[in-house]
Amino acid sequence: MPMEYLIVHFPRRRRVKIDDEFNGYTEELIEIEAGRHVVSLGPPYNFTPDDRTISLEDASEVEPRETTFDPAGAR
Amino acid sequence: MTLPERAKRLLLCPVLLTRVGCAPYVVNAENISNELRQEYRFKTEATGTNTNSLFICLIFSGGGTRAAAVSYGVLDKLKKTRITWKGVEKSLLEEVDCISSVSGGSFTAAYYGLFGERIFSDFRARFLEANIQGALLQSLFNPVNWVRLASPYFSRIDLAAEYYDKALFEGKTFDTLAQGNRRPFIILNATNLANGERFEFTQDQFDFLVSDLNSYPVGRAVAASSAFPFLVSPLTLKNYPHTHFTLPTDYQQGLDDYYTNRRRYYWARNRAMYANDAELPYLHLMDGGLGDNVGLRPIEAAYRRTSGFIRNLINDKEIEKFVVIVVNAHTVGEDIISKDESPPGLATVGLKTATIAMDNYSVETIEAMKDLGVERLKAQKNIAACQKRLDQCPGVPQIPKLAGDIDPYVIEVNFEAIPDPEQKKYFLGLPTSFYLEKDQVQALIDIGPQLLEQSPEFQKFIQGLGQP
Repeated sequence: MPMEYLIVHFPRRRRVKIDDEFNGYTEELIEIEAGRHVVSLGPPYNFTPDDRTISLEDASEVEPRETTFDPAGAR
Repeated sequence: MTLPERAKRLLLCPVLLTRVGCAPYVVNAENISNELRQEYRFKTEATGTNTNSLFICLIFSGGGTRAAAVSYGVLDKLKKTRITWKGVEKSLLEEVDCISSVSGGSFTAAYYGLFGERIFSDFRARFLEANIQGALLQSLFNPVNWVRLASPYFSRIDLAAEYYDKALFEGKTFDTLAQGNRRPFIILNATNLANGERFEFTQDQFDFLVSDLNSYPVGRAVAASSAFPFLVSPLTLKNYPHTHFTLPTDYQQGLDDYYTNRRRYYWARNRAMYANDAELPYLHLMDGGLGDNVGLRPIEAAYRRTSGFIRNLINDKEIEKFVVIVVNAHTVGEDIISKDESPPGLATVGLKTATIAMDNYSVETIEAMKDLGVERLKAQKNIAACQKRLDQCPGVPQIPKLAGDIDPYVIEVNFEAIPDPEQKKYFLGLPTSFYLEKDQVQALIDIGPQLLEQSPEFQKFIQGLGQP
């Protein structure tokens, strides 16, 4: 099964957590395997929502799956 | 000795034997959380002359002393190969980050993990040229051990483990391997006899048993990894109550992937099952070769999974060159079945049934790892080609890039690649045993470096590094 590609948007550069593990940074193409994943960002916790659950399938390096986090007050 | 003294000793004998006979096998300890303790997990920070940017994994296959000797020869070759990486001159061996092994290969992996370059001064005499098989048989014929073996809690695998522990691994436990950010990270693999699933001796795996790996003897792990069916009995581990256990997120999500990613689903399912400790209070391990006779599967998992240490480093732009060197000591016995009109006997059919699927699976695992490398290179090329096209259109934004490009290499040392037919026949015909003649051991130590050097992929990798 081929690897999948994800891009996480946030106005500031931030580490990306996938399934509770650090895997790359915002606005960079992140290579992970197909399936369900919980995506979140590293600290500070000034983003919303807390996490997003996505199901990755049929994305490609030139057409990655995209997901966005918005700024929020620090928690 | 006087007669009464002798009689007294004779009388004491059965008492002693009974006591020894009651001694149970070494049980893995329950994990009592201790955050100050260094646990045996891969640590992402490289130390000393080792770097993450050049990330090398060695894979040592099964095959008794044959496999251990070829692996040793390859280690020696890497030690003698000088490179310059990031302006620092060093041996290629200093850059090895992990070793995954099964069965015979686990002896070399564990010894190097525990004792480092001391392996080059004493491993030949202590293991490769020693009659390990004879020593194991001798302990089996010792009357004291007959009584011990009569206990349902002590079996032939425990005798083998005791021998390896004393004669080879000096009583060391995984606590020694866990100290500091030591590289390479050694992954010794066995097979869970109940479901055929790979079982690795790392704390990440022991978490699923709520057990502490640090206190467990390395010799026992090697014994499990090399417990060939019928010759020795399975090695037993205890699965402790999962009172405060939480399934890691990657596994939780993987359990929902039956339709989207079957590989991930089974990986998650086969570890998550240990949470049912009431139904599975014990597990019995056998030769790692039953699940994967090459030992490549943990590396493939560490590359694919979001919790995998290789995946984390790649996505964090730590790795520039990713090198996998598979030392595959696989042999092919002469085909005598096809020469006879009458069908083969039960023993031959049994052996073939047990090994054919495993051999085919090993080839597929290596090819799957190569495919992952090719796929990554294609993705990098596609992104670069797209960007090049877009650069011709002013004002169009840049397309997102990967954290960094990596240079993947999968290099295989395999007797199949020996060009001389006679020499090839010799190596492919060597037995799987824990005792080989000295000239056979020497030939195996010599062939590893030759096969590595002649590999086009290895040559490409070395040329890409630039020699000092």
